[in-house]
Amino acid sequence: MERDDKKFSGGRKYRNDEITVYWKPSSCVHASYCYRELVEVFDPGRRPWIDMTGSTTDNIIDIVNLCPTDALSWKWNNDEKNAEISEDQLNHVKFRRPELMDTNEAAPQETPVSVKIMVDGPIVIKGNLTLSNNGTLKEVQESIISICRCGASDHQPHCDGQHRKIGFIG
Amino acid sequence: MEENKKQKSQALVEITDFGPLKITGNFTVKDLKRDKEDSAGEIWLCRCGRSENKPYCDGSHKK
Repeated sequence: MERDDKKFSGGRKYRNDEITVYWKPSSCVHASYCYRELVEVFDPGRRPWIDMTGSTTDNIIDIVNLCPTDALSWKWNNDEKNAEISEDQLNHVKFRRPELMDTNEAAPQETPVSVKIMVDGPIVIKGNLTLSNNGTLKEVQESIISICRCGASDHQPHCDGQHRKIGFIG
Repeated sequence: MEENKKQKSQALVEITDFGPLKITGNFTVKDLKRDKEDSAGEIWLCRCGRSENKPYCDGSHKK
């Protein structure tokens, strides 16, 4: 699920691969175009109430543009596309909430995961990765995991310092 | 800033059953003991301590 309901100043933002939708609840006048036209995405009875996987990017943009206030606005995740936005995109952030234009919404960072083989010690892995253990997948973001390399840890697969006790060389 | 960026997973790290650690995707490997760097798209790292080709797996865990 590429859903993202992170907070930003004055509301929340929701993101798919292409666009970010900003919601500013204090501006909503309940014109209700959004959920009448596209309840798959905008469902006030659901939490989070915006599901960016519910429809296509084009449909979401069309509906956000119907919002009569700045309660809903949107922009491309790619800043180059934002620069060439045309005025028929009524609720693009550039027209509705220009203060949000300069927040850097560049594509997710693609820094390679760092794997370090420690001297006579564990494998230390750092970065944004998916950890598969016994077939269970877990997303690990910006944290460090330390995997046993000597075979003696009592907390497999993690390192518990046993390599020092057994005098592991390798 | 309070804004957090969604970070995309760059690599898959698999703990294989009674076997090596398999890493695939976008990653770099730095071997501090042998002072070597590697940026292959897929590696298998020894977890049992018995490989003759450390840090890589050479199948010794099966013996």
